[in-house]
Amino acid sequence: MTGPIPSGIAEIGLVPGSHVCAFYRGDADRDRLLSGYLSAGLTAGDKCICIVDSARTAKRLKALPGARAEPGPADGQLDIHLPGSTYLANGEFSTGDMLTFWTEGMLKAELEGYSFFRLAGEMTWSLRDVPGVGHLIEYESELNRVTSSHPVVVLCLYDLDLFSGEVVVNVVKTHPQVLVQGILVENPYYIGPDEFLKSASI
Amino acid sequence: MRAEPDSTADESTRRRLGEFRALMVISLLMTESVSEDQIMDLAASSAPGLGPWRIDGYSFTDSGWRPGLAGSAAPPPCGLARQLAVLGDLSGQVEVPGRGWAWAYPLRGIDGLLGHLVASCDREPPAEQRFAIQVMAQQTGVAVSNARLHARERATAAELAAANAALAETVSSLRRNMDIHDRLTRVAVSGEGQTGIANALHELTGMPVVIEDRYGNLSAWAGPGRPEPYPKESFAKREQLLRRLKRDGKPVREGERLTVLASPRSDVVGVLALIDPEHTADKADLVALEHGATVLSMELARLRGIADTELRLRRDLVHDLLSGTDDDSALVRAEALDYDLRRPHRVVIAEVKGRTRAYDSLLSAVRRATRQMHLDGLFDAWSGNVAMVTAGQADWEQLRRAVASYVGRQVEIGVGGLCARPSELPRSLREAGLALRLQKTLLPGTGACEYPKLGIFRMLAAIPDLTDVDRFVREWLGSLLDYDQRRKAELVHTLTQYLEHGGNYDATAAKLSVHKSTLKYRLQRIRDLTGLELNDPDVHFNLQLATRAWGTLQALERER
Repeated sequence: MTGPIPSGIAEIGLVPGSHVCAFYRGDADRDRLLSGYLSAGLTAGDKCICIVDSARTAKRLKALPGARAEPGPADGQLDIHLPGSTYLANGEFSTGDMLTFWTEGMLKAELEGYSFFRLAGEMTWSLRDVPGVGHLIEYESELNRVTSSHPVVVLCLYDLDLFSGEVVVNVVKTHPQVLVQGILVENPYYIGPDEFLKSASI
Repeated sequence: MRAEPDSTADESTRRRLGEFRALMVISLLMTESVSEDQIMDLAASSAPGLGPWRIDGYSFTDSGWRPGLAGSAAPPPCGLARQLAVLGDLSGQVEVPGRGWAWAYPLRGIDGLLGHLVASCDREPPAEQRFAIQVMAQQTGVAVSNARLHARERATAAELAAANAALAETVSSLRRNMDIHDRLTRVAVSGEGQTGIANALHELTGMPVVIEDRYGNLSAWAGPGRPEPYPKESFAKREQLLRRLKRDGKPVREGERLTVLASPRSDVVGVLALIDPEHTADKADLVALEHGATVLSMELARLRGIADTELRLRRDLVHDLLSGTDDDSALVRAEALDYDLRRPHRVVIAEVKGRTRAYDSLLSAVRRATRQMHLDGLFDAWSGNVAMVTAGQADWEQLRRAVASYVGRQVEIGVGGLCARPSELPRSLREAGLALRLQKTLLPGTGACEYPKLGIFRMLAAIPDLTDVDRFVREWLGSLLDYDQRRKAELVHTLTQYLEHGGNYDATAAKLSVHKSTLKYRLQRIRDLTGLELNDPDVHFNLQLATRAWGTLQALERER
């Protein structure tokens, strides 16, 4: 699969390997984005892996049409996780651990017969005062390396009511695509992982 | 797969272009925001990601200084206002203490200059970063201007919404009032009476409704919870409530009731109330209650008008019956008043002794007494007395005593003979009057006087030519009459009572209220003046006939 696939958000198409950063305001806006994005994946038969920041949101997503299919090939099509078992496993954030989490998830799904993956992460966990959250932008940059080598699209969700303009700027600088108010802004000049690591070490 | 970073641009150029992409995204986010604070916070918090410069704050022409980030208490740089005034709507360098470089950029909106964005850095930033700050200032100005425009539109929309809501409430209120008006007007014209008014008000308010007369008696009830038996408050408390209702002229809350007065005229009073124990009555319920009171007033006025008219028609009929009218006309008019005049009727006259202008209380007493004795009849005033035309037969003395007890004074009653036809009633009236007078002059203390039971008096009164009767009286009583006239004496009256009491000294003296010796003296005087022996049976008979004839003549004389 090389052509654009429906994102499920405002009729935007995404090419495989897209790592999109989406900015929104408030829970309702987040739910709208996530529901559209995951529903499109479930409809297309993609393996969907999603990390949300509250059990309440997880419960809502589990009620999506198709998420609770009858036992069979499609069973377990949607995996929903919370930060405690993913981003902040072991009580701290580790870029390497998270990239491994995503990679293993995709490999496992591939073994189950899925050929395309749709990943999503609600990033509000990074506002907590825990070790490693300072590596957020580095992680976002490194994630580009993973997406470039898998049949996958990734959606990172940032709440504008909670994140500062500085985070927005840095996220835009490290993401090839940014979704703002239903507009997909391409950034061909994004900072790749190697360059980011180099500039960070200067 | 996505495109790899453009390898043709060098790192520095790509970094700058990436920053402008980020600036473009910040601009998009500011443009979609409708909060000035959100816009300014986003701009100020973005700066560290774009370069080593910062936004110190914003100076607005209308609202003054606002630090870069909301919540910061940083004051405006000293002398900034003066420096900005010099700059006008241009950009230029300003002094910010502790900073190597500071610049003020105009914030321009749709309506012109909004103020300035003040940015600073440790040292003068390179040209591309100064350009980024300028772009940030321009975008912030446009976004703040848009936000203000949105705020104004929202305020206008809110005002419109409030106006629409107020209008809708007014329309709803008017509609409700119209419903109230329509419903109660329908009741007023349909003749459903007080029960209809209570039902309509209950339908409109959902609350139980009660209508009472001025004494607190239940006239109508609508809705659940009617108390059995219906309670009645004390006279004093009732009067107090009526005074308050009259004084306030609007619904008054009394315990669980919302009460209003319906009084079309001073002597007609009704009370209308909503039973509202939870105090939930709203403005519309009050409108309905007051409107209901108006309709009730109309109904009470109508009822009183009907009663007054019927009373007047009845009085007119009685007056004509007593004065003399033809049978056909009288029967038709009586039938119109739902009164059966085809039965034999008689006239009864009641008189209060020694009192004038007591007609109203006497009429009321006669009505009450007749009601009590289940006598029906028609009433009217007659020569200061009360005349009743009745078909009933009663113990007239019992009636007299009842009337006397209600009036609180001595009352005399004369009863005329029965008449088969209405046109004969003037005769019964004359007989009742004659009986009344005979009762007063010849038979005092004998109770109600019935003409048909008057015996010899009735025979004497029936004689058309009284010349022989008069001559007979003069023959036997002439000397006594002359003496009484000359000496202002009462010999004829004394003789009359003596004979009526069968020659009993004690009874006669008691009746005349004189001492027995005075009676004996007067009787001796009578013997001397007439030369007659009172114990002679023949003399006794003729004297008794003469005294009765004299009384009859006296009564007939007064009739004329």
